[in-house]
Amino acid sequence: MYGWIWRHLPGNAWVKALISLVLVLAVVYILFQYVFPWAEPLLPFNDVTVDNQ
Amino acid sequence: MAATADETEETTDASEPEPAPRRRPGRIALAVSVFGELLITAGVLLGLFVVYSLWWTNVIADRKADRQADKVREHWAEPQESGPGALDTKDGIGFLHVPAMHNGEVLVEKGTGTDVLNDGVAGYYTDPVKATLPTTGKAGNFALAAHRDGHGAKFHNIDKLRKGDPIVFETRDDWYVYKVYSILPETSKYNVKALSAVPKESGRKKPGHYITLTTCTPVYTSRYRYVVWGELVRVEKVDSERTPPKELR
Repeated sequence: MYGWIWRHLPGNAWVKALISLVLVLAVVYILFQYVFPWAEPLLPFNDVTVDNQ
Repeated sequence: MAATADETEETTDASEPEPAPRRRPGRIALAVSVFGELLITAGVLLGLFVVYSLWWTNVIADRKADRQADKVREHWAEPQESGPGALDTKDGIGFLHVPAMHNGEVLVEKGTGTDVLNDGVAGYYTDPVKATLPTTGKAGNFALAAHRDGHGAKFHNIDKLRKGDPIVFETRDDWYVYKVYSILPETSKYNVKALSAVPKESGRKKPGHYITLTTCTPVYTSRYRYVVWGELVRVEKVDSERTPPKELR
């Protein structure tokens, strides 16, 4: 999977490494900005109030 | 090594003394390696989620809370042009100081929905029980909630509170000094009676000026609720230098 991505990136090893880094950062950004905030309320880790629901 | 990366190349390059690594693993080996990579990915994802919940949400929430707190302070500093009793609850009604929690001041806002609490503030209950604000002067319970972990984690150190510790609520004009008199380290999340105007579980039977702090417990989970009750000891007028009451000095 990751090998396949690596092989399909253009350029030499340095360029590939740079592109990979950018891709990783982009994925982390998407996760922190969109995916985790969406997933968090669905997970039972941080309800702090008492209520009757 | 880039020259050998082409997987269709079966023949060994003459310029390379070593033979190219085997390029065509069996189907099963391929499936196993993809599965392994998926597992690693899942592990990294979970790790990132922990980083997100325990660190990043704090960064975001503290930033927002600071901004809102500054707004409230600025608002307080302005000369009071609106009539008396005009309470602006949108940005926050005051600050909670709990020396035992060692986390400075916590802005208090209206409501206990995630949209409010995720900004790194403490919220006073409007549902299922309406909290009685100390500024009204009426007997009742000033019930608050805040996050234990993540999103500012404003009540993270709630377990450091002991009986007799002060809880101070600061408003524009007054310092409300409360004293902790009862602690419930674990209760059901459905226990809304903890918020009632006279919280009987705390041992008090008569109406009075109470404060209730609620958050989740044990840390990093939301299985139970941790409740701390305090009672109003005295109210101090804010002086021109906003000298804090002796409990905070």
